[in-house]
Amino acid sequence: MIWLRLPTVVILAVVVLLPVGVVVYQSVLDEPFFSPAARLSLASYAFIFGEPDFARAFLTSIVLAAGMTAIAVPLGGLLAFLVVRTDLPAKRLIEPALLVPIVLSPIVIAFGYVVAIGPVGFASLAVKGLIGFVPWNLYSLTSLIIIAGLTHVPHVYLFSSASLRKLNLELEEQARILGAAPWRVALTISLPLVWPALVYSGVLIFFLGFELFGLPLVIGDPANVLVLTTYLFKLTNILGTPSYQLMAVVVVAIAFVTLPLVYFQRHLLRVAERYVTMGGRGGQSGPLRLGRWRWFALACIVAWLVIVIGLPLSGVILRAFVSRWGEGINPFDTLTLQNFRDLAEHPNLIGSIVNTFLLATVGAAASVAAYGLIALVTHRWRSRFVAMVDYLVLLPRSLPGLVAGLAFLWVFLFVPYLGILRSSLVGIWLAYSVVWLAFGLRLISASLSQIAPELEEAARIAGAGPARVVRDVTVPLIRFGLVSSWLLCFMIFVREYSTGVYLQGPGTEVLGALIVSLFGGGSLELVAALSVVNVVLVAAGLVLALRLGVRI
Amino acid sequence: MKRFALASALLLGMLVSASAQAVPPGYPADYQAIISAAEQEGSVAVYSATDSASADVLLKDFRALYPKVQIRYYDLNSTEIYNRYLSETAANAETADVLWSGSMDLQLKLVADGHALTHHSPESAKMPKWAVYEDRAWGTTFEPLVIAYNKRLFPADAVPASHGDLLRLLKERPQLLAGGKLTSYDPEKSGFGFLLMTQDEKYFPQFWELAAAFGHGTGRFYPSSGTMIERITSGEHLVGFNVIGSYVVLRQKKDPDLGLVYPSDYVLVMSRVAFIPKNAKRPNAAKLFMDYLLSARAQKIMANQAMLFSLRDDVEGPYSAAALSKELGSRLKPIPVDMSLLAALAPAKRLAMMRKWQETARAQ
Repeated sequence: MIWLRLPTVVILAVVVLLPVGVVVYQSVLDEPFFSPAARLSLASYAFIFGEPDFARAFLTSIVLAAGMTAIAVPLGGLLAFLVVRTDLPAKRLIEPALLVPIVLSPIVIAFGYVVAIGPVGFASLAVKGLIGFVPWNLYSLTSLIIIAGLTHVPHVYLFSSASLRKLNLELEEQARILGAAPWRVALTISLPLVWPALVYSGVLIFFLGFELFGLPLVIGDPANVLVLTTYLFKLTNILGTPSYQLMAVVVVAIAFVTLPLVYFQRHLLRVAERYVTMGGRGGQSGPLRLGRWRWFALACIVAWLVIVIGLPLSGVILRAFVSRWGEGINPFDTLTLQNFRDLAEHPNLIGSIVNTFLLATVGAAASVAAYGLIALVTHRWRSRFVAMVDYLVLLPRSLPGLVAGLAFLWVFLFVPYLGILRSSLVGIWLAYSVVWLAFGLRLISASLSQIAPELEEAARIAGAGPARVVRDVTVPLIRFGLVSSWLLCFMIFVREYSTGVYLQGPGTEVLGALIVSLFGGGSLELVAALSVVNVVLVAAGLVLALRLGVRI
Repeated sequence: MKRFALASALLLGMLVSASAQAVPPGYPADYQAIISAAEQEGSVAVYSATDSASADVLLKDFRALYPKVQIRYYDLNSTEIYNRYLSETAANAETADVLWSGSMDLQLKLVADGHALTHHSPESAKMPKWAVYEDRAWGTTFEPLVIAYNKRLFPADAVPASHGDLLRLLKERPQLLAGGKLTSYDPEKSGFGFLLMTQDEKYFPQFWELAAAFGHGTGRFYPSSGTMIERITSGEHLVGFNVIGSYVVLRQKKDPDLGLVYPSDYVLVMSRVAFIPKNAKRPNAAKLFMDYLLSARAQKIMANQAMLFSLRDDVEGPYSAAALSKELGSRLKPIPVDMSLLAALAPAKRLAMMRKWQETARAQ
């Protein structure tokens, strides 16, 4: 297998180190790297590390990331347990509903919250009318952490649910027979068994905390909350002309965070055999009975759905159907379909939708195939290279959106032979796949960790070659992981924008670009209308997929 | 036989000349060469910060005028235009044929660094002197910066009529706008916002007092006019300072509660600057598009349907320099399209001004 393993790792390394490398190189120069006047210099590092704003932003980012993870991981795991392992009522409705937040562009979610619970949001005004004041403040670090945490529960859900599907029911049933309440079963049996899924998703969510931009911009800025990405935004303007070297230093700082993170992740997952749940013995499958906890569990989930999805989504829907909103306006007086009519006349609408969904369906499938290959190649491979791969895969996400776009533009411009891909959907797909590598890959890794070695060994003993083992034993066993990975990539690719911003042109625009352009022009009503169309399309697709038997 | 040959030659000649687009009225006859060359080139790539919805009418009209020249319109923000153009040029890759952006200082920086092609446009003579820089860069619009306010929620007697009025309002009736009810550009996040600050400093002697009055939570700052307007109409903020007039006017069509004031002491005016890069692959098509933007025909569209505020003195319309001049005369202070824009980019001066802003308007 070495003939496949080594080239895969080498290609992976090249593909990751090109965009990240050019940024690191830029950080030690005093001019744009393509300028003939560029000289090696550490002046940028001196400047950034001397800025009090940088330290403040770094610290705030850490707090945001930690808070987000602390909220998202337990809730996501619990939610996955309830939906996948128990007889929770209304599952068919809950499953698509809870995946919707991933599809919405973060800036749209943030805006939805402003319309719903902002200072003059409809919920705020309603409560103000009842009790005379608004008991919450949307613009604060606390709100930002809570919203960020809650909106990332679906990511953890996807990770955990894929692993939970394959659990042997016997273990949980035995606990129930012994009298454990369902929550106790979840906390002491089911969730510990899907530890890899929780660790991987926890690490990834934490790292995502450094990349968040839309939410901190809309919700954090008014409260003077500065995170690394909004600090980067300031840096593009501080000297008048964008200063790539300063931005690069911030990226290097973020990249350094990956080191302890991945080390911690590897440490937590050291003992691989503990998480094997798909062993040689067959197991019964069927939902765990919740008994009298059923309706309580449902109520909790509905409450979560209302806060996380209901509020911002209703804000967005409201904005899409009114001509104006705010204090002193009764929304029922301003209902209109005009925003949708205006949207339909927008020049690039249909093209953007088609490109986006092409990228998100076919493109995501291609990405998952690549991620699957990498996961399989490093599966049960005792080698130093696996450690290298572990550190490499998280690196691309250390490029925040603002810089990722630039990095990929530079790669496509300055690396020979890549130029033809530059203004094509393939180029955009490549950029997306590299940046979200860790996310799609780790979902598959978590599934792989559940397979007992004896299954594959049995196939080998029976005479199957390595390829046959993978095709007939391993891949079928990780199919939930593959499907979940595709779903995650689908959701992410639909809303992505900044990574491919410089690779787009007439004919290759995507939805995210349209939303940002409309947002910048102040046409928030069109943004809202477009988001509603977006959500409806994706929800319809999801419901269809679930009907056709796709299990997530 | 001879007559037949002559007749068919004439017919062929007529067909050939009829298939090339005619020279626009008032242009020199040798402009035909540019048009033919442009039609050979076949397309023009425009990197523009004017969103595609607003520009759509103009693009459709250009297509009607020159059907053989396809427009490839890239809708980007001004920083993206700058980054993309510079990187592509450094790599000798295909880039824009026309750059059109409202970030006046960034555009002139590129011109100063030698990126612009000199083009003696037939329309240059008809443009205001301050809007043409050495036949290398042209302002195309005449957009005033205004004070916007929420008619529904802000008392009519308190609406500031000038910059001085605004300062008085903040000093004498601070409770009206306390708690973040005033909004303006964030010069820390928006180069355009910073440019406006340098202009205000020039024309308003008490500017830093005004900045100080923005402090202590009164002012909320955003990087774009669009966000400001959305939050003024919703009532989250009540008054907006230095909002781009064309956006306000556009929004007023949907929301009659949005008020607009042209300050009576002075009105800053910005212009979207366009230039043709030296390394444009399709320079003739670029010239065609540039001359089109400056032509009376396009400017008339800007003054009417597109609501972009036309620049030419000889173009009439509700959203035109002509109409504004009639109403506001010498109060209008257009930001000149020249090297004075680069003063805002000098690092030492820029950082010093940023700090001053942080210490006054951002004081907690």
